[in-house]
Amino acid sequence: METTIYIRMRNRVQAEPEEKVLLKDVAQIIAPEAVLSNIKTMMVHQLTPKDRNIVVIDVMKVINLITDTFDDCEVQTIGPAQTIIEVTFKKKGVSIPFFLLIWFLLFFGSAMAIMNFHDDVSMKSVHEKIYTIITGEKDAKPLLFQIPYSIGLGLGMILFFNHVFKKRINEEPSPLEVEMFNYQLDLDNYVIIHENKESMKRLNDDD
Amino acid sequence: MTTIKILVVLFVGLASGLAVGSGFVAFLTVLGVIPRLTQLSKTMKMIHQYEWAVILGAMTGVLASLRDPELHISSYFLIPLGITGGIFFGMLAAALTEVLNVLPILVKRIRLDGQIIILIMAIVFGKIFGAIFQWLYFVHH
Repeated sequence: METTIYIRMRNRVQAEPEEKVLLKDVAQIIAPEAVLSNIKTMMVHQLTPKDRNIVVIDVMKVINLITDTFDDCEVQTIGPAQTIIEVTFKKKGVSIPFFLLIWFLLFFGSAMAIMNFHDDVSMKSVHEKIYTIITGEKDAKPLLFQIPYSIGLGLGMILFFNHVFKKRINEEPSPLEVEMFNYQLDLDNYVIIHENKESMKRLNDDD
Repeated sequence: MTTIKILVVLFVGLASGLAVGSGFVAFLTVLGVIPRLTQLSKTMKMIHQYEWAVILGAMTGVLASLRDPELHISSYFLIPLGITGGIFFGMLAAALTEVLNVLPILVKRIRLDGQIIILIMAIVFGKIFGAIFQWLYFVHH
């Protein structure tokens, strides 16, 4: 009787350098009990230093591997058509001076940016005008308005990013987390096309 | 002749108002500040009220900047005005930063995944510092 094997490639897996990547690492598998453990331990790829840090395993390779070993079986694939193997070299920590540099870059950068913005839109005269509207007096330093405004400025940014010092207001991801996710997705898509030799075959290659 | 002049002026005024007003709401829509607020407060149903709040707020601003009214009320009214105005500008600034997509790239470069909060705080404190420094010192020199 012909057996059906279902496989679903994982999106992204991490592996150590020089690791033997097994099929169960790169895919979820449903198969009859008799062959399951055999399939799970099939070696899909042997990582070498030549692979650098990203390897793409195409589902075609996996199907090929399975049908080579088991003659009368049908492979059904569900989900993504490839898995990205990320080779994790010894994890480098964040370098503190570098981090501090970026922190202060952002700090003084945004301070400068907001001052330029205020100057650009004549925020000062608007503040003075608002002060005059409310109180009827003129004041070149309407600090009663400006200090709450400045603190509110920071509060608004925290509110937008939904981070009150890591405490969440609710469980939805913040726009920045969504943005990070999209960025990662774009990177993955790029890698899938560019690291996968099969998907970029040149028909008339002169070399 | 004067009637035509008046009509032309009316028309030009209306047209420019229309352009500025639609630009303003388009800007707000692109930055997605209002959806973000409704998402945080779970008040999607009140979205039309929020639209009216924006429109009425803009109209009040127009009135205040064109007619120079004076209310002669307690100056402590300025505190809530300042805070709410600041929060709104802060959200605009945050949304702009986010549109420019700088942070995801930066975080990936320095391998700081999961701790974007620190970088956000750098920006937040930078903004507060910049603003307070400007009002206390910078503008008077």
